[in-house]
Amino acid sequence: MRQNKAVIGSAVGFIGVMIIILLIAKPSALIFGIQRAGLYAAIALPMALVLGIVHIVNLAHGEMMMIAAYLTYSICVAFGLDPLVAMVPTAVIMFFVGMLLFRFTIRYALKAPELNQLILTFGLAMVLSQGINLLATSQPRKLSVDYVTSSATIGNVSFGTYDFIFLAVAVIFLTGLMLFLKKTRLGKAAMAVGQNPVGAQFVGINVISTYTIIFAIASAMLGIMGAFFITKMSIFPTVGGAYTMKSFCLVAMAGIGNLPMVLLSSLVLGISESAVQSIPGGTGWSPLVFFGLIIAVILFRSYAKTAGVK
Amino acid sequence: MKGRLLFACALLLIIAAPALIMASGAADSEADTIKFGGVWPLGDITGEQGSKAAQLAIDEINANGGLLGRTVELVIIDSEFSPEKGASAIERLANIDKVDFFVGGMASGVHLGQIPIMKKYQKVTMWTGAASHLAEAAVGPDQDWYFHLHPWDYNQGASYVTGWNAIAEKYDEISIDRWFLAYEEGPFGSSSFEATKMLFSDLEVDGEAFQTAAAGGGDYSAVIERAKKYNPDVFIWAGYDADALPLMEQSKTLNFSPALYVGAPPGWPADFGNSPLAENVTLYGMWAPAINAVSDVSKRFSDGYVAKYGALPATYFAPLGYTAIMILAEAVEAAGTVEKDAVIAALEAIKYESPLGEIISFEPSNVISHQGIKNQKILQWQNGRQEVIWPFEFATAEPVYPFTPWGER
Repeated sequence: MRQNKAVIGSAVGFIGVMIIILLIAKPSALIFGIQRAGLYAAIALPMALVLGIVHIVNLAHGEMMMIAAYLTYSICVAFGLDPLVAMVPTAVIMFFVGMLLFRFTIRYALKAPELNQLILTFGLAMVLSQGINLLATSQPRKLSVDYVTSSATIGNVSFGTYDFIFLAVAVIFLTGLMLFLKKTRLGKAAMAVGQNPVGAQFVGINVISTYTIIFAIASAMLGIMGAFFITKMSIFPTVGGAYTMKSFCLVAMAGIGNLPMVLLSSLVLGISESAVQSIPGGTGWSPLVFFGLIIAVILFRSYAKTAGVK
Repeated sequence: MKGRLLFACALLLIIAAPALIMASGAADSEADTIKFGGVWPLGDITGEQGSKAAQLAIDEINANGGLLGRTVELVIIDSEFSPEKGASAIERLANIDKVDFFVGGMASGVHLGQIPIMKKYQKVTMWTGAASHLAEAAVGPDQDWYFHLHPWDYNQGASYVTGWNAIAEKYDEISIDRWFLAYEEGPFGSSSFEATKMLFSDLEVDGEAFQTAAAGGGDYSAVIERAKKYNPDVFIWAGYDADALPLMEQSKTLNFSPALYVGAPPGWPADFGNSPLAENVTLYGMWAPAINAVSDVSKRFSDGYVAKYGALPATYFAPLGYTAIMILAEAVEAAGTVEKDAVIAALEAIKYESPLGEIISFEPSNVISHQGIKNQKILQWQNGRQEVIWPFEFATAEPVYPFTPWGER
């Protein structure tokens, strides 16, 4: 607990310093960084939920979002809907897709060694991306909607306003999940299963059903994110892989089961990446900064644990 | 016992005879067929449409009585953008399908894997892709069986210089003094930036890398901000098709509208032209449906493609694929045989009027002795169509200049 406080304190301090520096030197980089952090957090939160409760590292996470984005695209093209409307059926469909995926594949690997779980979800990722490649080819697709290009200017800083929606989605996801886990019967059961599945079973909680519903909820969240994603980015069969990697790193940085820390970690990484990219020639350095920060946090966490930070 | 053995042999003969007769017939008919072996990345629009156009050429040849009185056939294998799969496809085409010619091609990386296998078999090859000079070096000199249609990277660069200088000379209002290149940070983008600096060394050139959407990026805010501050006459981005629409959207968001907005990806999203954001974007390419207005061959090809596949080709790899088959067919017809030396001699003398607009003949490039096309064209999206603005002999429209500011659209 104290170790967590130390990490949270460091993250908040780091963000504070970065905000002050960027406000003075490069305010646009601060805005782009916050927007980017929102996108990262909104995609990573469903993974954090699954990892915290079901204890599965879902390497098909980004590919499931990619499937959701293709679903949104197909619904929009077929029925002429706006992607933010198509988000509703996409989320419902993804809820059931997640349920089926869990019931027919992942549940059988729950007690298997972690390596087998990784291979299983990696295999699922391959099947999903190759399946889409066969069905829709590798040709990128994008839905163009006018409101994506809305912008504002403060002083001499111009920025897009739509991208703040990702931060809003991340905050809504986080608040919704916290309320669900703390206030609802099912959420409390999920927390119990996440902390001690054997004990939860003893008190009458159906562990597999709880896992299934949590996985399905995470899939529905990815459905929502898929719809938002295609408003901003092009989609193609391999687009999800990078987001699986980034989400996994964010969740590792936040600590397993620590949902609020996912948002904080995203802010650290998003703002740092944006700050580095705002320096001429800095783009090549941004992955280094991204992974360097993650390594630093994980090392600090291990050090704090062994040294018994008070 | 002896009687039973004889009976069994007779029975076997009766059963096997029709199969043997059919097999020998098939072998005869196979020997009669002239085979083209094509390798493309079929999951990509360039490979998909390139192979479809090649099949269209095959169908047209067969509909006109075949070649030297024989039917023609195209065997297509998917390279999946993999050098290993591309190389094994060549092995298979040579050994199992026993094709007479190799055609197709897209992506230098894949071609680098294929070249050693091609050198082993030395079949007459008409290659439509691979622009890297590294691929040319790998083929090497004195490989008379190798014919390359697509311009090499240095050919393309030189044609851009010629084209932009010609445009600036013809249109007084167009200025090309300050250049900014937004390039993806991989080898493609970085080498594009280095080449641009070298080619336009007498002009002011600056640039900045971005992480392409194809590699998990897709946020272009930083690079657009830098370009906006630099205030270039010409802004070029060198990335991939997945970057096209998001980059335009973010340019609009940040109100970045340089006088010339140029895109240089290897391929465009199929529906890019339908977006209002595409209007007045300049691009490089070798063919567009607009060329139908100035070339009958292009129109014939385009109409045939639409009749067979129900949509216009969206990439110049389609007319290139068609050209690869047709140019070989014309050479075989002229040679009167598929014998290698005769076909090479016929190809060396050929002047083929292609659907790309150019009359193609082969001449030496830096390393190889049979290079087909040396120029790219400069085009511009106007009213949802790609119009040719240079070379002027193929021009289908005047350039729109400057790029219409976002607020006036």
